[in-house]
This record gives sequence, C-alpha cells and structure tokens, in this order.
Amino acid sequence: MSAPTQQSDATPASDPQAVDLDAQRSLKGLPFWANPRFGLLVVIAALVVVFSSLRSSFLDTGLTLVPMQQDLSVFLVVGLAQLSVLSLGHMNLAVPRMAAISAFAMGWCYQHLSMPLALGLLVGLVVGAAVGALAGWIITATGVNSFIVTLALDFALVGLVSLLYSHVGDGVAFPVHPAGMTTLRNDTFSDYCTGNVCGPPVPLIVLFALAAAVLVAVLFRLSRIGREILMTGSNLTAARLSGIPTSRRVIQAHALSGALAALAGFLLAINSGAFSADIGNSFLLPSFLGPVLGGTLLSGGAVSVLGTLLGATLTEVIQTGLNLLNFSVQDLNIYIGLVLLVALSLDRVRHVLAERRGTRA
Amino acid sequence: MTFIAEKLIKVFPGVRALDQATLRLEPGTVHALLGENGAGKSTLIKVVTGVYQPDGGRLLSTAGDGTLAEVSFSGPLDAQRAGIGVVHQERNLVPAFSVAENIALQAVPKRRGFVDHHAMRDLARRCLERLDVQLDVDRLVGELSVAQMQLVEIAKALAVDSTVLLLDEPTASLTADESDRLYDVVRSLRDQGQSVVLVSHKLEEVFAVADTVTVLRDGRSVAEAQPLANYSRDDVVTLMVGRAHADLHLETRKIDNQSQPALELDDVSTSLGHHGISLHVQPGEILGLYGLVGAGRSELARAILGLDAITGGALRIHGAPAHIGSVSQALQRYRLGYVTENRKEEGVFLDQTIARNVSVTVWRRLARAGLVRNKDERVLVDRYRDQLGMRISSPLQLAGQLSGGNQQKVSLAKWLAADCQILVIDEPTVGIDVRTKAAFHELIVGLADSGIAILLISSDLPEMITLADRIAVMSEYRIVGELDNDHRYEHTAHKVIRMIHAEVAS
Repeated sequence: MSAPTQQSDATPASDPQAVDLDAQRSLKGLPFWANPRFGLLVVIAALVVVFSSLRSSFLDTGLTLVPMQQDLSVFLVVGLAQLSVLSLGHMNLAVPRMAAISAFAMGWCYQHLSMPLALGLLVGLVVGAAVGALAGWIITATGVNSFIVTLALDFALVGLVSLLYSHVGDGVAFPVHPAGMTTLRNDTFSDYCTGNVCGPPVPLIVLFALAAAVLVAVLFRLSRIGREILMTGSNLTAARLSGIPTSRRVIQAHALSGALAALAGFLLAINSGAFSADIGNSFLLPSFLGPVLGGTLLSGGAVSVLGTLLGATLTEVIQTGLNLLNFSVQDLNIYIGLVLLVALSLDRVRHVLAERRGTRA
Repeated sequence: MTFIAEKLIKVFPGVRALDQATLRLEPGTVHALLGENGAGKSTLIKVVTGVYQPDGGRLLSTAGDGTLAEVSFSGPLDAQRAGIGVVHQERNLVPAFSVAENIALQAVPKRRGFVDHHAMRDLARRCLERLDVQLDVDRLVGELSVAQMQLVEIAKALAVDSTVLLLDEPTASLTADESDRLYDVVRSLRDQGQSVVLVSHKLEEVFAVADTVTVLRDGRSVAEAQPLANYSRDDVVTLMVGRAHADLHLETRKIDNQSQPALELDDVSTSLGHHGISLHVQPGEILGLYGLVGAGRSELARAILGLDAITGGALRIHGAPAHIGSVSQALQRYRLGYVTENRKEEGVFLDQTIARNVSVTVWRRLARAGLVRNKDERVLVDRYRDQLGMRISSPLQLAGQLSGGNQQKVSLAKWLAADCQILVIDEPTVGIDVRTKAAFHELIVGLADSGIAILLISSDLPEMITLADRIAVMSEYRIVGELDNDHRYEHTAHKVIRMIHAEVAS
C-alpha cells in the first residue's frame, strides 16, 4: 500500500515552501479580470461612453440622470429581493405580486386610515415579509421546489390583488398622496442647500435603496443568521447536521425577500405617483438580472450585493440608452433578454473556472 | 467461456482499492467472491463489468477459437457484449415497464425502427424458461415481489447472452425460502455451462452452493479460485480477516465503569426498525459499533441525534433522560456531535471557506449583537489547525480544495469547536490513505483521553480493533453481542465475525 499519493497531508510536514505557494495561489485567486464585478464596471463605462457620444442628452441631469437613479433604486431593491432567496439556491417568482399585495396594503392604509408615510411603509414591509414567510413555510413543510411554490403563489396573488383593488380599493389605484410622498418623488439632494453648498443631484429615494443594500450586505457578510442561510444554501444536509435550524433559515430568507419586494413596490409607487394594481408587473426579469449579472450563484451559497448594484446599473444604462436611441419596447426586450442569456452562460463559465482554480470568483 | 481478471490494480485518490487482485472464472462453476467490507469486492465487480477502467493488470477471455485473448471494456456496454452480465445489489429495473420490457431493455428487438413486441415477449419467455420461472411477461415490474424482481434481473442479464453472471448479494432482501429457490436457479444455470459469481456475506449459503472461492483482503486476492471443498468456514474467516497493517497498537485503556455513562441507550427502538438497543458509553471511552453495511448503525446515530424518532426505551445523557428533537438541540443542550460518514455530502461545505466550515457550529457563541467577526473565526481555525494537524494554506481556502483526510479533520474540528462531550464518529477513515488514517486514529484516541465519550461506527474491522475499548456488534437493526476489546486482532476479529455470521445464518 505504498502508492504515491498527491495528497498534501501524506507528505511530511517539513515542506513549508509548498504550503506557502499554495497559500499565495489561493489568496490571489482568479486574475482580476475574471472578477465579474470588474467586468461589469468596464461594460458599464463603455456603454456610458457610447451612449453619451451618440446622444449628448444621456448625461443630462434632469432628463436622464435623475430618472435613471430613481429607476435604479427600484431595480436594486428588486434584485436584492431575489438575491435573498438565491442565497439558498431558491427562486422567488412571486416577487412581482409580493410587491403588488404590499403596495395594496400601503395604499389602503394611506387612503382609509390616513396613516403617515413611514407607518404605512412599515405595514407594507410586514405584509411582504408575511407573504414571503408563507412561501418559505410551504417550501419547508412540503419539500416542493421553490420555483413551483412561488410560481403558484404568484398566480394566486395575481387574482387576489385584482380582486382586492376592485372590491376594497377604488378600481385600479389609490388616488391618495400621503404627506411627504411628493417630496420624495420630486426632490433631490441638490434642492437642499446650506449656504451656497447644495447636495448632489441624487433623488431622496436613493437613500432607501442604499440603506436596504447595506443592510442586506451586512446580514449576509457578518451576521450569524445570514451566514447560516448561506450555509443552508451551500449544502442543506450538512447544514442540518451541523445544527443549523434550516427550516427557520429558509423561512427567514423568504420573509426577507418578501419585505424587500414590498420596499421595491413602495419605491415604484413613489416614483410613479400612485399605489396601483400594476405595481410589480415589470419586476420579474430585473429581479434576476441584477444578482445574476453581479455574480450571485443560482446554485446558492454565495451572494454579491455590490454585484447586484452593478448588474442593476448595467440593465438600467442599457434600457435608458436604447430608449434615447428610439428603440421600440419590443427591441428593448429582445436586447435585455439576450444580455441575460449571455450573462447566465458567462456565469456558468466563470463558475467552472472558479472551481478549477479552487476559489470563489 | 473462461474469463480471467489478472493482477488488477485500481487506485482512487488516497486509496488502493485493488492491489493485484486476480479472479479466474471457469464455465460451469459457481464461484464465491468473499471479503470483508472494503476489501475491494465491489471495485473488482465494477472493473470486470466495465464500470471502472483498471489502472493495471488485464482482462482475458476465451475467444472464438478457444484461445485466451486480452479484452478491454470502455464501458458497461462493452462488458455486456463480451458476455458478462451483472445483477447489482440495488435494483435496476423500471417499475412502470412490463417484465418483458425490462428483460429486453438492453437488447430491444426492433422491426423497421419500432419495438417488436412479439419478439420481445418471446425473448423474455425464453430467458424466464431458462430460470424455470413462471411469470406473466406483461405484468408491470412494480407489481412484483422483491424475489420476483430479483429473478427478472437475472433474466435480464441472461437476455444479452451472458456467459458470466455476477450476483452481488442476491439474497440480501430475500427470505430463506426465496433464497433457496434462487440458489436452485443458480445451480441450474451452472449445469447449463454458465459461470456464476456469487458475492455474499452469508457464509452458510456460500458453502451450500459455491464450487470455488476467491477471497479478497485489502484489495489483494489471498485465495485465488480455490476449490471451496478444501476450506472450512473458519479457514475462510481467517483468510477474510487476515491481519491488516500494524499501524497503531494501543494498550487496553483504563475506563471507569462505575461512573455515570455519558450516553446510555436502554432498550431503545426507533421508527427505522431498531429493536431493544441497549448501549452505554462512559466519558473517555471509545465504544465501537461494528456491523455489515446496512446493519442499521448510521441509522441509529441519526435517531440518537433526533433526525429520526425514537419510539421506545430511554435515551439518557449523563444520567438524565434526554429527548432530542434536532441536531441543533443535541449540540446546544447535550453537547452531542455527529461526525458524519459521508463527508462530501454531509460533513463539509465544499464551496465554503475552511473558516466558515469550522465555525458553523459556534456562530451562536461567537456572535456579538448577532454579528460574527472574521477574526474570531480565524482564531478558531488556528487552534484546530495545530491540534488536528490540518494542512491548509489559509483559513480562506475552500474546503473542497482539501484532500479527503483534511476535509475529515475540518468536519471533526467543527464539533470540537462546539465543545462536545459526546461524539458519534461515523466511518472516520473511509477513502483515506494509510498514513493519514494512522494519524486520525491517534487523534481519536487523544480525544477519548481528554474525556470525550466516543461512539465509533466503522465497517473497518482492523480500525475497530485498534481503537475501541469495547465493541458492540449490530446486525439487522439489533445488537447481537458485545465484547471487551483486548486489541489482539485475530482473537477479537474471529469473535466479532462469528457474532455476525451466527446471526445471519440463524
């Protein structure tokens, strides 16, 4: 049994140099160009140059930059909603309708209870989290794939939302404008000056999206619960056998997804000026685009909040740019679909590359 | 057809599964292939049937003109074409297909591109006739009994004109009557000139039906195609057991049997089918739980950890009755950890860093205001890197990059980090090379010396006799005996194997 083995633990421990080389290799990991975040930055920069040279209005603050930031805020949060369950290797196809039902709840509270803006938002977040938790609970209790469960849930909610608007609401939207809604919608920090110094032309609602992003990043990077969610996504059996309450973590991740969907619904309502039945309709594709472009694995166990921000930015840049170049809506969809396909394929290539190098990209 | 597998070598990362094993098959014989768990039987079968390619040695088979010619199989289909049929231990039938469809699965008769149902039924009937079995070929396989399925599998192997038929534990799930019936079939196949290879742990049956025997031990054939009549049962057991490597010899350790047992099972039965299980492990003691694969040992561990229900009897930890509902409860409340058998699927998170793998059980303790600091994790990894001799380049290395032995150490480290008082260690050294194995053995003994109570599950008898203070033998979900281990290999191995085979035979 004296087979020569390639295993490092079979060689005597008197070979520190080999270990050091190993260490260097694994710490350096992939070359910087293989990092998906870097690639995204390059593509975004290139597109900005192309679009702004074709249409100078692309860099116009009021016409393009502010609306872009408003849209981006929504899509960043939508992406984070999907990222929360991608961490488990799950999907949440009900992101659109979780946003819709929460938007209904918020609109109803403002309309009929005359709640202040913040309190209504809180109600919306709770409703979103509750619906998300329900999805998570069904998944853990039945063992049915999250794809199926959330698809079915989304379908059920489509009916429920339109029913609620036609019976309890006033048709398709709440006409209410709670105090502060218009300010949030129209103001940027440049409207607030101390002396001669005004803030940057950044819309106020960007703050909400950034706060959500920081919170989610801290959760998955530093907190025990976030880490345990990632471990559950990495290997469910091993997680259970390591004493992680996996069912609870699954439910929590889905609840977070629901709450973020609700926040996205709120932000879209602010942007569009009404809590209406069609909130969330456009959320499904962008929810995957951001995280996946940014390097979050569909297989679970790893997420990237920064990547999601960049991914959402890229989508937004493409959309605005093509819009300015007078592409029709259909063309737009074709291009965005193509971008997603290419990105997904690249994600796979990168994953294989990373596995071969033994590092996470 | 004479078929010879000569001096086969098959190396897996870290283990030499086959080391010059030779199997010589003559037509018209029933050939028993014997060996303890892990001796290389399954690997040998997989090489002979083309599932694995050998790293050394050659396969010879009688060619058309009666001379021996070398053959090589690039896949199972090649082996089939060369006349080698196999019935694996696990069922390989399609339940929703009929008997005829299953039998003809590998050689579907076709006419103009469509399945020729008539020819298919004929083929199936012919094959079943050779076995002297009456069975409606149009019945769905899903409706058949286990024994009938077994026969359909054999018929399926015959359908591809196999002249060598390998049966891997064919009676494992059959009753005594059904087994007798099966062996009648085997004898009749032999009389038709087939060469039948029988892999079985049931020595009684082997002696009743086989003509020649090959015994494997540590990947080597220690008896090659010998007439079985020359051997007694004890001779065969001695050959199977042999003496593996003398890597670590332990003196009998002093265990305080008067103290409160750390873990005690009293007449426990489980939802998985265990009955009357009584065990106790003292602090600092290693209790070995030995048995054949499928005896219910890992399942018992799962029940102790609350993954499956304990339906009767009492589980006591440090003397107090314990009701464990989940692994997390076992860990938090009872300081009971489970180092799993299957490290790649259940033990480590391959795509996570070592730091996270080691600290996953203690985030609850490390967290301040719900947040875990990376520095605390590093400290933990450094501690166990030294204590367990883990060879890693950085705490941020992914666990999947490590060798099997180091992965196992990571898996162990997370339970040590959790400060466990009781450890269930399941097959700690499967697929680990000999040197690392010895280091691991020292490690386990060191843990016991430090006062941890260890329930060691292993199918590796030399390992068991090296490490355990006492050995409990399990068979068919019951404890069939318990003995003090004197670390004298031949002596103890004989006793243990007799316990198992006495049980199986009865």
